[in-house]
Amino acid sequence: MTPSSEPSLRDDFAPWLRRLGRRRWRLGAGALLMALTVAAGIGLLALSGWFITATAVTGVLLAAGAAATLDVYVPGAGIRLFAVTRTVARYCERLYNHDTVLRVLAELRAGMFSVLTRLDGRTLSQLRASEWLNRLTADIDTLDGLYLRLLAPPLVAALAIGGVGALLACFVPGIALAVMIPLGALWLWLVVGQAWLGMAPARRRVASQDRLRGRVIEQIQGLSELRCYGTLASHRQALIDEQTTLYADQRRLASRQALGNALANLVVGLCVVLALWLAAHAEVAGRISGAVMVMMPLAVLALNEALGGLPQAFTQLGATRAAARRLNELAGRQSALREAEAPFDAPAGTPAVALDAVSVRYPGALALALDALTLRLDPGERLAVLGASGAGKSTLGQLLVRQIDPSAGRITLNGVDLRDMPLSALRARTGYLTQHSELFQASLADNLRLADPDANEAALWRALDVVDLADWAQALPEGLDTWVGESGRQVSGGQARRIALARVLLKEPELVVLDEPFSGLDASTAARIAERLDRWLEGRSVVFLAHADEGLPGTTKAIELIAGRASE
Amino acid sequence: MSVQADIERSGGRRGALDPQLTNRRWLRELSGGVRGWLGLAGAAGILAGLCTVVQMGLLAWAIDQLVTSATAPAALWPAFSGLVGVLVLRAVAQWVQERAGAEASLRIRARVRGELLDHLAALGPVRLGDRHSAGLGQQLVEQVEALDGYFARFLPQMRLTTILPPVILAVVASLDWLAALLLLLAAPLIPLFMALVGMGAERLNREQFVAVTRLAGHFLDRVRGVTTLQLFNRTADSINEVHAAADDYRRRSLRTLRLAFLSSAVLEFFASVAIAMVAIYIGFGLLGYIAFGPADALTLFSGLFVLLLAPEFFQPLRTLSQHYHDRAAALGAADGLLELLKEPLPEGHDHGAGTSTEPRDAAEGRGAHIALRGVTIAHPGRGRVLGPIDLEIAPGECVALVGPSGSGKSSLLQLLAGFIDAEDGEVTIDRASFGGADSIAWMDQRAWLIQGTLADNLRLAAPQASDAELWAAIRRAGLGELVDALPLGLATPLGERGYGFSGGQGQRLALARVFLSRAPLVLLDEPTASLDSETQGLVIEGLRELMASGATVVVATHQQALMSMAGRRIELTHQARRREIGHDA
Repeated sequence: MTPSSEPSLRDDFAPWLRRLGRRRWRLGAGALLMALTVAAGIGLLALSGWFITATAVTGVLLAAGAAATLDVYVPGAGIRLFAVTRTVARYCERLYNHDTVLRVLAELRAGMFSVLTRLDGRTLSQLRASEWLNRLTADIDTLDGLYLRLLAPPLVAALAIGGVGALLACFVPGIALAVMIPLGALWLWLVVGQAWLGMAPARRRVASQDRLRGRVIEQIQGLSELRCYGTLASHRQALIDEQTTLYADQRRLASRQALGNALANLVVGLCVVLALWLAAHAEVAGRISGAVMVMMPLAVLALNEALGGLPQAFTQLGATRAAARRLNELAGRQSALREAEAPFDAPAGTPAVALDAVSVRYPGALALALDALTLRLDPGERLAVLGASGAGKSTLGQLLVRQIDPSAGRITLNGVDLRDMPLSALRARTGYLTQHSELFQASLADNLRLADPDANEAALWRALDVVDLADWAQALPEGLDTWVGESGRQVSGGQARRIALARVLLKEPELVVLDEPFSGLDASTAARIAERLDRWLEGRSVVFLAHADEGLPGTTKAIELIAGRASE
Repeated sequence: MSVQADIERSGGRRGALDPQLTNRRWLRELSGGVRGWLGLAGAAGILAGLCTVVQMGLLAWAIDQLVTSATAPAALWPAFSGLVGVLVLRAVAQWVQERAGAEASLRIRARVRGELLDHLAALGPVRLGDRHSAGLGQQLVEQVEALDGYFARFLPQMRLTTILPPVILAVVASLDWLAALLLLLAAPLIPLFMALVGMGAERLNREQFVAVTRLAGHFLDRVRGVTTLQLFNRTADSINEVHAAADDYRRRSLRTLRLAFLSSAVLEFFASVAIAMVAIYIGFGLLGYIAFGPADALTLFSGLFVLLLAPEFFQPLRTLSQHYHDRAAALGAADGLLELLKEPLPEGHDHGAGTSTEPRDAAEGRGAHIALRGVTIAHPGRGRVLGPIDLEIAPGECVALVGPSGSGKSSLLQLLAGFIDAEDGEVTIDRASFGGADSIAWMDQRAWLIQGTLADNLRLAAPQASDAELWAAIRRAGLGELVDALPLGLATPLGERGYGFSGGQGQRLALARVFLSRAPLVLLDEPTASLDSETQGLVIEGLRELMASGATVVVATHQQALMSMAGRRIELTHQARRREIGHDA
C-alpha cells in the first residue's frame, strides 16, 4: 500500500463519473428538484418569521392608533406555496432520482457480468465465485450512493449556503460574510473532514463483511466435515473473529458519523445566534427593519435540512470508494485470448486436430503444464489421453476448446490455427465435458436446453436415454420440470455428471472432449452408457481424458501424459 | 470441543423457535436484551429535544426583547450565552443518542447471527442441501445487517416520538390553545396514514428481500457456471438474462420506494400545511384581525415561539417516518430469518447418529460399533430411499457399500454421520474414545477447501495438530511430494473450491484430514471417484493403515479396488432395497 502505487480518489471515481455523465440531463433535473425542495424549506421558515414579526410590529402600531398597512395576502400565499412546493418537489425528486440510479445499476450489473464472460479459463479459475457475486450485487449497490448521497447533496448544500448568503447580503453584506465563513468551513469539514475520518474504517468494513460472508458460506458448504470432525467451534471462531473486526470498524464509524451530525447542528445553531446578534446591532443602527432582523437567523436555521445528509454520506465515502476500486479492477481484467482480426472458419467436415509442439506455462508455475506436446487426431478417430491428476489432461482439454491458448506451438483444426477461427464458430463445433460439471439452478429441461435452446422434448429424452437417465427422469413426479439445485445437489454426484454429459450430446458437436466421463458411476451403469455412447460417437472426432482407458468405448489410440509430456 | 457438546450448547437446548412467533414479537424479544443501551439512546434523544424547546424559547424571547422592547443587544448577553450553552448540550446529547443506538444494534446483530449459526449447525448438511449456500450467506450477513436501522434508529426514535410531541404541544397550548389545536388536528391523521402506508411497505419489503436473494442466487449460478456458458456459446443470452434480472430488481425496488416515499411525503405535507396555517393564524392574530379565542393575547414572543416550535412538533414523527423503512426492512429480514430459525431440527440432532451413541471403554477396541435394526430412510419428496435394513458392523471392520447410483448408499452414510434421522428402526453407534478423539471422519466426492493456508485446511480436522502431525498426514495421503515442492509449504494459501489444486489433489487433501482426525469411525462417500489408479493405490494403502489402527471404516463406492480392500461388501439394490451381504475379501 505505497502511496505511489495506490490509485487516487479521482482515479477510483473517474470511470463512474463518466458513466453518470452519459445521463447528465436526467441527473441535472434530479439535482434541480433537490435544490427546489431545499429552497422551499428555507423560504417557508424565513418568510414565516418575517411575516409574524412584520404583523406584530404593524399590530402594535395599529393598537396605538397609528395608520399602518401591511399586505398580508402575498406573504400568506407565498407561505402556502412554499409549503406545498417542498412536499411535492421532495416526493418527485426521490422517486425520479432512485429510478435513474437503479437504471444505471442494472446496466452496470450486465456490463460487469459481460466482462466476466469474456475472460479466459485461467483468469476465471483464479477468482472466487463469492467475490464475483459481491461485485455484482453489494458493490454495485454501494455505487448508488455516488450520485444520490455524494454528488447531488453537497452541491445542493453549497447552493443553499450561497443562496442564504446572497439573501442576507441583500440587506447587510457584513452579516452575510460573518455567517458564510463558518458555514463554508462546516461544509468543507462535512465533505472533506468526515470523509478523511471515515475513510480507513469504511474501506476495511466492506472487505471484512466480504470475508465474513465467505466464512459463512464456507461453513454451510463444509457442514458435513465440520460436524463430523467436531471442529465446528474452531471454524466458528474464525467466523466470529471476522465479525469482531467488522463491528469494531462499524463502532468507529458510528462514533465519527455521530460527531459529524452533532457538529452540523451545533455550527448551524451557533450561526443562527451569530446572525441574530449581528442583525440586532444592524437594526439598532437602523439599517434593517425588525422583520428582516428576524428573517435572517431563521433563514440560517433552515440550512439544517440541507446539511443533514452530508455527515453520513461522507463518513461512509470509503465504502463507496472501495466498491468503485474493486469494480475498476474487475472491469480492467482482460482475457488472455485474442480474437483474430480477420477470423475465418475451418473447412467443414469431421475435424482433424493437430498439436504441433504445444507448450503451456501457467504464470508463477515452476514447471510447464504441457511440454512440447505433438499429436494428431484424424477425422473420426478416438484418442484416449491418460495420466495421473495434474499430468496436464485438463490443460489439453482447455486448449482444444480454446479456453486457454498455448504459450508456444500451435493447434490446428482441419488445417486452420484455432486462433484464426472465430471463437464462437470453434465452440459451436466442439463439446467439452469438464471435470467439474456445473448444473444451473433451473429445471432439468432448461439445463439440457443450454446446449440447444430449440431442442424439442423428444430430443431431450433421447439425450437422457444415452446417459441412462430416461427411466429415472420418467419416474420423477415432475419429470423434465424437476428443479436441479445448486451444483446439482438435489441429484447425486453421478446423476449430475450424467446430466452434464447428456447436455454435451444434445449439442451434437463434431469434436468431443470428455474428461472422465464415467467417474462416480458404478461399473454396470458405466458399461450401459459406454455402449450407447459408442453408437452416438460414430462419425465424430473424440478425445477422452481419463486416468485409465478401461471402459472408454471404441478407443483407436492412446497416449499417456506424464508431467506434461507424452509417452506412447 | 466435540460436535455433541457444540450442538447441545446451542440448538439442542432450545430447538427450533415456536412456529407461532411473529416477526414483531421476535424483534421485541430481541430488544429486551439491550434495554440499557436503547434506554440511554432514547433518554439522550429526549434531552436533545428538550434543549431544542429551550433554544427556540430563548430565541423568541430575545427577538421579542429586541423588537418590542427595543432592548440593546448587549443587554441580552445572558440570553445569548444561554443559547450557546443549550446548543452545546444538545450536540452532546445527539452524539450520545446515535452512539448508544448503534451499540444496541451491534450487540443484537451479533447475537442473532450466533443463533442462526447454531441453528444451521443443528439442522445439518442434508436438510440444508436444497438451499443455495450463497442465499444462506446473504441471509446470515445482509439480512442480519438489515436489522441495524430498526434497533439503532427506529426504536430510540419511537420512544422519543411518544414523549416530545406531547411536551411541545403542552408548551404551545400554554402560549395559545388555538395554535395547539391546529397542530393537534394535523397530528392524529399522521400516524393513521403512516400505519396504512407502512403496512403496504412492509409487504413489499418482504417481496424485495425475496427478490434480492433470488438475484444473488441468479448471479452466483451464472458466475459459477460461466465456463459452461462459454463452452455452449451462451454468454450473450446470459448477459441479457442478467440485465433482465437486474431490471426486474429495479422495478420491484421502485414499487417499494414509491410507497415508502409516499409515507414521508404525506407526513411532510401535513407538517408543512400545519406550519403555514399556524404562521398565517399568528400573523393575522397579531394584526388583530382575529377577534375570537386567545388570538388577541398573542405577542411577538408567544407567536414566534409557537412558529418555531411547530416544525419541532412534527420533527420526531418525520424522523420516525424516515426510519420507517428501517423497520420495514427489519421486519422483512426477520421474516426470512425466522423462517430459517423455525425450521424443525431433526429429532436426534443432539446425538452423533440416529438414536443412541454411547462412549465405550477403550479396552474393547478403538473403532466404532454400529448396529441397525429394521432401519428405513425416507427423503421428503423422494419417498423411501433405503430399507428396511439390519446391519451390524464390528469395531475395526471395513465395510463397502455398493450398488447402483441412487440406491441409498449416501443416505446410509448420512444416517451414520447423524445428518438425517431414520424413518423407522433403531440405530446404535458406540464410539470408543480414540486417541482423545471421539469424532467421525467424513469425506465425499467434492473436495471442500476453505480460504486459508494448507495448514488451516488440514487443521479443520484437528485444530490442535502440530506441524509434524500435518506433514505425516500429508505424506500418508500421497501429497508429500507436491507439498515439498511448494515454496510456502504448509503456509501455501488455497482458494474457494480448491482452485490451484486439481480435483484429485483436493481429494487427497481431504484424505489427509481423515488421517489427521484419528476418528474411530470413518465415513467415505466415493472417495476415489476422481483419482487415477496410482493415487487410488496410495489412498487404499492409507486406508489399510487406518484400519490397522482400529478405526471402523464404511465406504460407499463403485470402484473394484476399494471394494476389494473392504472386509465385507454390502450391496444395496435399487428396486428391492434389500440388503445382500457378500464376503469378498
